[in-house]
Amino acid sequence: MSDQTAGPGPKGAIRNPRDFFGGLALVGLALFALWASRDLPGMHGFAFGPGTAPRLFASLLGVLGAAIAIVGFLTDGPALERFYIRGPLFITASLIVFALLIRQGGLVLASFVSIMVAAAGTEEVRWVETVIWAVVLTIFCSLLFPYGLNLPFQLWPRSYTLGLW
Amino acid sequence: MSDLINNLALGFSVAALPSNLLMCLIGTLVGTLIGVLPGIGPLATIAMLLPITFGLPPVGALIMLAGIYYGAQYGGSTTSILINIPGESSSVVTTLDGHQMARQGRAGPALAIAAIGSFFAGCVSTVLVAALGAPLTSVALLFGPAEYFSLMVLGLIFAVVLAKGSILKAVAMVLTGLLLSMVGSDIETGQSRMAFDVPELSDGIGFVQVAMGVFGFAEIMRNLEQTESREIVQAKITGLMPTWADLKASAGAIGRGTLIGSILGILPGGGAVIAAFAAYTFEKKMSKDPSRFGRGAIEGVAAPESANNAAAQTSFIPLLTLGIPPNAVMALMVGAMTIHGIVPGPQVMTKQPQLFWGMIASMWLGNLMLVVINLPLVGVWVRLLRVPYRMLFPAIVIFCAIGVYSLNNSPFDVVMTGLFGLVGYWLMKHDFEPAPMLLGFVLGPLMEENLRRAMLIARGDPSTFVTRPISAGLLAVATLLLVLAILPMMKKQRDVVFTESET
Repeated sequence: MSDQTAGPGPKGAIRNPRDFFGGLALVGLALFALWASRDLPGMHGFAFGPGTAPRLFASLLGVLGAAIAIVGFLTDGPALERFYIRGPLFITASLIVFALLIRQGGLVLASFVSIMVAAAGTEEVRWVETVIWAVVLTIFCSLLFPYGLNLPFQLWPRSYTLGLW
Repeated sequence: MSDLINNLALGFSVAALPSNLLMCLIGTLVGTLIGVLPGIGPLATIAMLLPITFGLPPVGALIMLAGIYYGAQYGGSTTSILINIPGESSSVVTTLDGHQMARQGRAGPALAIAAIGSFFAGCVSTVLVAALGAPLTSVALLFGPAEYFSLMVLGLIFAVVLAKGSILKAVAMVLTGLLLSMVGSDIETGQSRMAFDVPELSDGIGFVQVAMGVFGFAEIMRNLEQTESREIVQAKITGLMPTWADLKASAGAIGRGTLIGSILGILPGGGAVIAAFAAYTFEKKMSKDPSRFGRGAIEGVAAPESANNAAAQTSFIPLLTLGIPPNAVMALMVGAMTIHGIVPGPQVMTKQPQLFWGMIASMWLGNLMLVVINLPLVGVWVRLLRVPYRMLFPAIVIFCAIGVYSLNNSPFDVVMTGLFGLVGYWLMKHDFEPAPMLLGFVLGPLMEENLRRAMLIARGDPSTFVTRPISAGLLAVATLLLVLAILPMMKKQRDVVFTESET
């Protein structure tokens, strides 16, 4: 993730960086897909093989991505918008923490920790309020999902319930 | 005609069962709640609630899920009008005039017109679904793989033409979606494709992960950029009822909105969001004084609100008759039906008439409930909106995380969702529309399958798509649309709605 700031100023040779870099990324994706599907058998006779459609779509995407990049190079457009780090970072971290904890740690622990991590995603976070809110939400989730909706969830860490580890 | 009445009678007898009425009520209430809360859409909710429907009878489950969908369309308008934040993407245009009305102290009439328009649209489209169901089912029998493929091409082109911004980028998004849908196993040979021996990817990338990430989480990341600047209309909402002049001004708009919404809902690739935009643009063009729009014109609320509700309902038509999900929410409905062993398509109507007609009748009852329940509840929804975003978003994140996890009990899915959240955030920053991508992703496997079959039947001759009359017709319409959209004049006009909304 880059941290370029938006706004006017010398744009350099690239007149529409949003389209230019966006198009380039799509070309990259297309090339990656072509590489990833290189071993799949293609057409045999007039029947499609498993690799035909992926390569067809990837090639078309590559051409379009290039076209977008070229248009972005030649025509004026808005500057790149600033990428904020804090929100995306903590939201993603919260999901990863949840994924890591849910199996071994159980629903209560996983929910509480990932709520806390997610809440840090904004500068407006107020920690006392957040802890109280996280407790309330955790209790709500622990009642709603396993009992209210009857989904098979483990509530507590395995070491307590099973005496393992 | 008597068939229609008999069928509707059957439907109402099913929908009016107490248990089904309860499902309908729960669905519409949850839907409204979801619609009111920004940042959590019907997609994420239906995805989260899919697992519970295991235990319900199929009719009840589908009635509830449908209720969530059209309830959300309705709830979205409340936030658009009161706080200028669209609760639902289909209500984005409602903010333009709805919020202006609220600022002028006319929040009541705006909310009431939104409700009345939605209800009227709901009534018309219920009848439409009932009336068109049978004839379209017989059309479906004429469809071979070539026709299905061309129909999906038309749907995707529609999504492209009506998406905002550059056509080129929208097409690229469709292709990205198609490409993403190829990950997993080949349908015919079972060979693993682009899955890199990751066992979790062998079944393909989950639809819910993509949808929740690109729409839900990306939106939250975006919302976190601005510090809170919510502007709730503090003035008391008095005088809910619109005046006679309001009603007269919006009657035409409601009718036209319903028509546009119904048509766009039926077409694959259409759906509520596009319908609302199209209806608003049309209304603005029809108006004698277009400058009133964006300054609190009641038609600007009536038309899109009727259109999005009509489209939400008619989009069930292609699903129930052709078995093709016309938009992302309908794709989830396919998932819900499959859970219950129902294969969406022409056979639903003949083999399970009580399900088909029960669902249709429940839509009408649901719309009635929405009007009756929601007008008095507006105060409650407004209070709910006072919950600050810093408390709201961790709750949404955790509900979504648990929801995604519970689908397959897979931590990998949760991480994938986060990854697609980042992808969605990047797409927003580069002005790419995620909706065409999602539709491409949903239609990808179906398209490939039908393309392969059609080519096989035609012995490798691609001209089969233009020599079969129905297929040729569909493709001709698609081409025409594309040409019209590329004509610069049209492009300029398409941009008008969006540029003026910024000022």
